[in-house]
Amino acid sequence: MELTPSVLEMDFSEVQKRICRFIREYVKNAGAKGIVLGLSGGIDSATIAALSSLAIGGENVIALMLPEKENFDQKDIDDAQVVADKFKLQTQICDLSNVLSCFYKGIPVFEPKDRLCKGNIKARTRMIYLYYYGNKLNKIVCGSSDKSETMMGYSTKWGDAAADITPILDLYKTQVRKLALHLGIPEKLALKPSTPALWPNQTAENELGIKYETLDLILVGLERFMTPQEIASQLAIEKSLVEKVKVRWLANEHKRRMPIGPKIGYRTVGNDFRLPRHTY
Amino acid sequence: MKDKIKLALAQISSKREDKEANLQKIEKLTRKAKDLGADLVIFPELCLSGYVVRDQIYELAETVPGPTVEKVEELAKKTGMHIIFGMPELSEKTQATIFNTAVLISPKGLIGKYRKMYLPTHSVFEEKRYFRPGYQTAAFPTELGNIGLCICYDVFFPEVTRLTRLKGAQLIVCISASPAVRRSYFETLTCARALENTTFLAYVNLAGVQDGLQFWGGSRLVSPSGDVLAKAKYDEEDFVTCEVDYSDLRTAETFIPTLKDLRPELFDKLKEYSERL
Repeated sequence: MELTPSVLEMDFSEVQKRICRFIREYVKNAGAKGIVLGLSGGIDSATIAALSSLAIGGENVIALMLPEKENFDQKDIDDAQVVADKFKLQTQICDLSNVLSCFYKGIPVFEPKDRLCKGNIKARTRMIYLYYYGNKLNKIVCGSSDKSETMMGYSTKWGDAAADITPILDLYKTQVRKLALHLGIPEKLALKPSTPALWPNQTAENELGIKYETLDLILVGLERFMTPQEIASQLAIEKSLVEKVKVRWLANEHKRRMPIGPKIGYRTVGNDFRLPRHTY
Repeated sequence: MKDKIKLALAQISSKREDKEANLQKIEKLTRKAKDLGADLVIFPELCLSGYVVRDQIYELAETVPGPTVEKVEELAKKTGMHIIFGMPELSEKTQATIFNTAVLISPKGLIGKYRKMYLPTHSVFEEKRYFRPGYQTAAFPTELGNIGLCICYDVFFPEVTRLTRLKGAQLIVCISASPAVRRSYFETLTCARALENTTFLAYVNLAGVQDGLQFWGGSRLVSPSGDVLAKAKYDEEDFVTCEVDYSDLRTAETFIPTLKDLRPELFDKLKEYSERL
């Protein structure tokens, strides 16, 4: 296989159709009254918001905007609002600042300078809001993780990765951008640098240390069982970079699975208790 | 035997773990097929139980003959229809040995069954974990002509349909539960299997979504010269009737004489070399 950007090309009309069908059937089978999702002003959440609206109608989708003072940027709220208006979503703004302050004050070992641990509180607090709305209004929580960040484990465990459905889970970031454009999401938003917004000026590409255009080609090579040497040669990059990506991908399997326990019984949850996933 | 028969391709989505609901759908569509003048109605692979049922398969499997087959026999008798459908079959001799089976029933009762020979266990598929493979191809002489049966992934192995055809099948029915990412393979292979054997091939696939797997539908009747004579919608439930005119077999066999030109000595070589792979 030749590792060129063309391997990431897709028929985005077909992708849109397939994802919308998936969302529609899941919500219907679950007997839910729609979807709740977080709308950050970023590309992934804009894309799932658009897809949810196209699948079940914007009036059945509640988009929560969850700003907090440390990361606040009016541009993000404005971008989120553009998407909400275009796809006719219900919106609600919940300022997390007070709740987060309580966490910071209430945790005896809290260390403000440890921005990762602190940032993860933010991601998990957003999750709590989404699940509260889901629970209260009988709606499905729709997550926005994509394939690139899921493979890299670039997410907060039980935070932004927590959801009932994740419609763009099988699309790499560069594919999500193209799907977003296909869906009519404005270009300035579709091409905006991705950020988990755990602290100010954080961007995904800076943290991962690689551009998504390169990362996605490495990941697609790994997905198709190519060796790091083959991938590195084809992309004309250092083999060590590919190996670094591979190590990170493998090391983060714990984020993609149920918690593990020792095998003791006849059939074990998350192991050989193999049941169909139902939505009722 | 009739020179022409009418088929109904019942491309349904089945409700997982709900045999009663699926049987009701089978009954409703069999009656519809009857009203439309069809002789044979065909339902997809494992449509009785659902495809993605994992460990629940042990609760859903039944013997053939067994309670569900008796109900479908009753339905066939009442409607005068021939019916083909897929179900998990429990061996009569054990309590947890299961086959992925296609059942053929006529108005006079059970004609026969086919146990899937090639069980996909790769990618999203885990059939070998649950099913024992069958060991026999199946071609049954019926009032509607000689009908052969195969199931889904079997169609990737030309020896299954070849042997079925050599046993006399004029119409090969392939029931399926194929997810959307594999659509192009099946569209190619169903035509190839019909053409290389100069036989009619009716392919009936599931529709709907089960555990994230989206079944692509696209059920079809392919002529002995590889032409798609009828086709159901992609992805959604659909119901299509179409005609098999057995006189087309002669036209195809004279124009594409693959059966006349068979070279049996190659089959020995196939065996020899496949054992060495």
